[in-house]
Amino acid sequence: MSVLRRGAATALAIARKDALSELRGRQASGSTLFFAALVLLLFGFALGPDSRRLTEAAPGLLWLAIVFGGLLTVARLHQLEVEDGAMEQLALYPVDRRAIYAGKALAGAVAMLALGAVLLPVVAILYAIPIGSAWLPLITTVALGAVGFAAVGTAYAGLTVRMRAREVMLPLLMLPIVAPLLLAAVKATTVALNGDPFGELGAWLQLLAAFDIVMLVAGAGTYGFLLED
Amino acid sequence: MPQTTIYVAPRLAGTHENPPPAVRAVDLARLFGRSPALAGVSVTVEMGRMVALVGPNGAGKTTLLRILATALRPSFGALHIDGVDALRRPEIVRTRVAYLPHATGHYDDLSAEENLRFAATMLGWGATEAGPVVRDALDEVGLTPVARDRVRSFSAGMRKRLALARLLVARPSLVLLDEPHASLDGDGMALVDRLLERWHEVGITVIVASHQSERVARLADATLRLDGGLVAELSGSGIQADLSWPSASGAPVPAGVDR
Repeated sequence: MSVLRRGAATALAIARKDALSELRGRQASGSTLFFAALVLLLFGFALGPDSRRLTEAAPGLLWLAIVFGGLLTVARLHQLEVEDGAMEQLALYPVDRRAIYAGKALAGAVAMLALGAVLLPVVAILYAIPIGSAWLPLITTVALGAVGFAAVGTAYAGLTVRMRAREVMLPLLMLPIVAPLLLAAVKATTVALNGDPFGELGAWLQLLAAFDIVMLVAGAGTYGFLLED
Repeated sequence: MPQTTIYVAPRLAGTHENPPPAVRAVDLARLFGRSPALAGVSVTVEMGRMVALVGPNGAGKTTLLRILATALRPSFGALHIDGVDALRRPEIVRTRVAYLPHATGHYDDLSAEENLRFAATMLGWGATEAGPVVRDALDEVGLTPVARDRVRSFSAGMRKRLALARLLVARPSLVLLDEPHASLDGDGMALVDRLLERWHEVGITVIVASHQSERVARLADATLRLDGGLVAELSGSGIQADLSWPSASGAPVPAGVDR
């Protein structure tokens, strides 16, 4: 088996294992979804009944909900490894550490994409936004945002998973790093919802893609050290 | 009684004529904070030998096994496994070592079979080969009837059996076991003894830490007793250890060690 094929098989096995655990632990994924929807609802209450203000704030609120839900998701995907000492076992398998990172990041990205895909219609209903014609750029934005967030989140969850105060440390360390992603994702979502009148959507999507690539490379390069005790 | 195939790591290139020791540890020490869990262990184990690692709680048995498995880096010292520098090339050593730790390392929401299939993939088995290998291993440890049950519902003994099955899916030259008899009933303990004998028969080096010292010593070629993070006693054949301390190599003395 070539190195590349072995790496791909490893990454897919890890992503599949994480996805199965996530799907079977329905309480956890269900509560994440409920929490993210609740964030949207509470922000809606906080901003008041002014429909114009809600429409303007919708892209930012959508991404805040995705970020909060994503934080829980990436933390939980690493929590699986801590229970029963699986992290040590994972570190001892004779596989490329970059493939382990790729598998965990893939699982995180898929979970976040699913979260975003559910939250998009929730936002549309709650804030009365027509997303019918903008669904393709919106899904592209959510996909690129999910990959970038999972790329950063996987590395930082690996760093904090053995810490006692991991629930606090993960957002503290991670949120400043994902600030550019959040900015670009909110801008791209706003532009997509407005029909991209000035043709700037492509630039924001390129920025998101560049962020994803940089963070994936950095995460893959550092994750192996995080597995060492 | 099922008899699954025992897979063995191939000899490394250039080691057929004059095989290096399976383990050569020099002045291995590990500090946790300022307290030494291992205070300078020098030991050489010949290939194919079975060593019983005994000693009281806190003697350093688990720390030594974790270092040998490359799960933990030593604070001082040198380590070669099958002639490979384990501190510089742990990725090679990991292809040759199978380790049974205290924590069994399973995923609770996966079934026994799914856990083992995942392990098989991580250990390099292709999709078609993995099926029979996993089935045989589950059969050997007596978990076939519950192969599709989630591990969350397993008792501690069943979890231990599944961890033993994971060792059977590996292709090691060195097997390290930390309290393999713990949590097991009589049949389970007999299973461990049978596996120890079979690994020994096919030439795999085995180091087993156990509080069942008489049971393990009966099967082993040698017994190494640790106490206070140091080698306290050695008996049997196929193993050499430095009982003088501080050792002749002049390795730094970990803070807090007093002997």
